[in-house]
Amino acid sequence: MNSIADSGALYDRLIVERARTPQYAGRLEQADAQGEGKNPLCGDKTRVDIVMADTHIRDIRHHTRGCAICLAAADLMAERVTGRTVAQAQELSQKFSAMLVGEPASTPETTTDTTALGPLEAFAPLRAHRARIRCAELPWVALKEALSHVAV
Amino acid sequence: MTSVSMQDKIRQDLDVAAIRKQFPILSQKVHDRPLVFLDSAASAQKPDAVIDAMAETMRTQYANIHRGLYWMSERTTEAYEAVRDQVAQFLNAPSRDEIIFTRNSTEAINLVAHSFGSLLKPGQAVVISELEHHANLIPWQMLRDRVGIELRVAPITDAGDIDLEALQGLLADGKVALVAVTHMSNVLGAITPARTIADMAHAAGAQVLFDGSQSVVHRKTDVQALGADFYTFTGHKLYGPTGIGVLWARKDLLEAMPPFLGGGDMISTVSFEKSTWANVPHKFEAGTPAIIETIGLGAAISWIETIGFDAITAHEAALTTYGLKRLADVPGLKIVGQPKERGGVISFTMDDVHPHDIATLLDRNGIAVRAGHHCAEPLMRRLGLSATARASFGVYTLPEEIDTLADTLVRIRNFFV
Repeated sequence: MNSIADSGALYDRLIVERARTPQYAGRLEQADAQGEGKNPLCGDKTRVDIVMADTHIRDIRHHTRGCAICLAAADLMAERVTGRTVAQAQELSQKFSAMLVGEPASTPETTTDTTALGPLEAFAPLRAHRARIRCAELPWVALKEALSHVAV
Repeated sequence: MTSVSMQDKIRQDLDVAAIRKQFPILSQKVHDRPLVFLDSAASAQKPDAVIDAMAETMRTQYANIHRGLYWMSERTTEAYEAVRDQVAQFLNAPSRDEIIFTRNSTEAINLVAHSFGSLLKPGQAVVISELEHHANLIPWQMLRDRVGIELRVAPITDAGDIDLEALQGLLADGKVALVAVTHMSNVLGAITPARTIADMAHAAGAQVLFDGSQSVVHRKTDVQALGADFYTFTGHKLYGPTGIGVLWARKDLLEAMPPFLGGGDMISTVSFEKSTWANVPHKFEAGTPAIIETIGLGAAISWIETIGFDAITAHEAALTTYGLKRLADVPGLKIVGQPKERGGVISFTMDDVHPHDIATLLDRNGIAVRAGHHCAEPLMRRLGLSATARASFGVYTLPEEIDTLADTLVRIRNFFV
């Protein structure tokens, strides 16, 4: 019998692990800004708290009720944007969306690039699961709202 | 009974292998697996009889109806109107004139909410239940906001049945003009005690509407025996095409109700100053109707009647019993609701696995189920859930498909936990 996960690699090991044991789940009491994302189609929702240090995101936590894709996307997003500037986080957001709809990257990346997608590339197989793309984008919607409240 | 003997019993009720041969889509593969279609409650697949009837109409006898003074139009009109007779018989309606063709059940309920609803006055109330699909909720909310009626919601028990005592309480002040409830829940499979509800409504001076979208598929429907005043259903869940639904209503009600949509076909005389309406049912069928789809619905009803509801109901009851038993054995799986009487619908959740992840992974294994809130958000909230996965059964469902579902769910659970 083949593996149940033989599903276009959508459920990458990293995604399943982060969904099961998130590293950035929770809330920040002293948050400088918050954002929310809700998916009326499935009832999933996520809240993002951020603490800024000058123009950098110093700390970020998410409070997510959702599927494995949504949970892992929130957690890996939080990991990836920690320490990044607002502009870098926004660039990551654009690259992530472009990857999900299958647009080629505008410039070649190196893994040391501060705005490289890195582990977020685990979500690339979502291209073939259009109905699930919004699951991965939901945390980024929440982050975008949080960043809009931050004056830089 | 062991699983094997239960499977034999299911096969005795109905020759499912012969039925499956009549559904071309069931031989399709999905992701290189045989299609296991367990989403008939959302929309059922179509037998050759329906596909051929519609194609044959377009190939050999199509023209617009009710107006052409030529042979081809007359033939098409006859075929279309014959379906009205068929539907009247199907529902045991007292008169063919009480059958209104609509786009679907949603449009049928909207017709009642607009037309019957326009006769209501502020201070009067409409009662729905917590079980309702959005189709039997939103039209009444819109009516409430338009006319100023009160919208009351009958609660359900934790098992998922309408709380009849609470319903009695909602009817007590005599202000209720209409009780509009589902005849079978699309989420819990709960079959509502329609006759009891109708008697309660009538005793309180209210009319009663049943949303039969799920129910008509699984059992013989007799609107007179149910004591209904309005009954709605849709063709596409009944192995017929999309785009065709039915409203049945008592003739005296239909005659008192103003038209819903205006246009051609629904008039008697027209001038710029004043127009008069056609008699029922035509008063409620403005414009060129879904002629081909109506003929397809007629073919679907004929096809179902050749199998017979005795066999269909027995087959689906056995499948549902088998499904409940097999799914109960999946570790971490919880079946949602325990209604007194259940049609071929089972909603479930699994510990630590979201319904959307379940549906995606089942799909990769060729199994089609529904996941989400099933157009019943308030019911989900009442159940304390944001979503469920749902398997639903039809005439073509095999016990082996339920085995495939249960076995795959075990593997999905092992993958996530």
